[in-house]
Amino acid sequence: MIKLEEQISLFKLMGTQLKKKVECIAIGGSAMLFYQVKNSTKDVDLVFLKKEDLEVVKKILFDSGFNERKNIKGIFREEEDSSKPIMMEGPETRFDLFLNEVIGFKIHRATIERLREVHEFGNFVVKTASPEDILMMKGCTERERDRDDAAELIKRFNINWNVVLSETSSQAKIGLAAFPLLLYDFLTELKENYKIDVPKEITKELLVTAEKQFKELKNKGKLIKVTKYKK
Amino acid sequence: METYELAKKLEGLQTVESIAKNLNIGRKTAINYACLLRKNGLAETIYGKRKIRMYRISPIKPVKKGHPGLYEFLNQNSKIKIYAPYVNRIYDHKPTAEEMIAKAVQTGDFRTVLSALSLFNKITDWALLSEIAKKANIGRKIGALYDTARTIIRARKMDERIKKSLLKSKITGKFIVKNARTKDLKNIEKKWNVYLPFNKADLEAYKE
Repeated sequence: MIKLEEQISLFKLMGTQLKKKVECIAIGGSAMLFYQVKNSTKDVDLVFLKKEDLEVVKKILFDSGFNERKNIKGIFREEEDSSKPIMMEGPETRFDLFLNEVIGFKIHRATIERLREVHEFGNFVVKTASPEDILMMKGCTERERDRDDAAELIKRFNINWNVVLSETSSQAKIGLAAFPLLLYDFLTELKENYKIDVPKEITKELLVTAEKQFKELKNKGKLIKVTKYKK
Repeated sequence: METYELAKKLEGLQTVESIAKNLNIGRKTAINYACLLRKNGLAETIYGKRKIRMYRISPIKPVKKGHPGLYEFLNQNSKIKIYAPYVNRIYDHKPTAEEMIAKAVQTGDFRTVLSALSLFNKITDWALLSEIAKKANIGRKIGALYDTARTIIRARKMDERIKKSLLKSKITGKFIVKNARTKDLKNIEKKWNVYLPFNKADLEAYKE
């Protein structure tokens, strides 16, 4: 487990070792630490938009005593190497490094425009994903702690559900076809098990989007594989 | 009502009147709520035009670790305040006015650059400013903005050697703000061979 102070010192250390500017987006627990809605996190999740930036950070982590975990199960689209994160394990924490995509959720212009915070550690610039995006990324997993995090996000932030809806449609087109259905499942579960206030019209709209998406795919004769990330 | 729930309801920029309207309460109660939120660190007071008091409310206490980034630095040191599009913090060193001027120019945003003009008054190390400006390929732009700042505010005199070296420096693109050109400060534009975005009327904001 890692706390905000430790995360900051780790990032500072990385910043001093970088020779040129590297930008990344903090997601999940790492971003929630910056938002101060969580006290500690098990892993630091970072998304890079350039492969060379990811490689540089990976090398720095390796030189700082982090080892790469090789046996990572493919999460979505197992045939694609790019969708798999690089996991760098240290004694107390783990870095998950993603490239442009997080478990099926594509990072694109709108996601970048929604970034809430910019933290500068010398040459290492860490931006934090918006609560809406973090929530949607959590929707693709089946881990219990992700549900706790998502519930906390909805409780603490004024989630803009219109953003969630429009992003879901975009993700269904550019990323995972089953994304609306996964998110619908996720939010319904949160509503039932955590008694979280998710507007009824939102889940309804998600279901409509999912059905529409499936119809379109069926007409095109495409097969959809729906799996979730378990770990 | 819990404080953070109140903050969640009122998230964003609010005035006492808008708080009262949103919660359907009286003005006095709205003032009390704003005060409560501010004491809990969930609201920050800012002043708009004509000294109108506004509250930036967030259900999450903003991270106050590290040092202020560009927008907070400008709001602390400039007469022209700007609305920060995002929270920015710097952790590895205390930012200097020299560094922040260069950053402001790199944003290419009209109001940010206008606000940064007053930072020329805080410059203590001209050599550092020149070094940062040259590194970012904005040397002549910084020089032109310095001359512009001198037309409206009191700023320390720039070392002649630095001025000469800035005049010779290379820049990428002549525009400081995309497609914005001045009608009034043509002499400065000509001297530095860049396009200034401000007219005299824009600079009047410093006189208010």
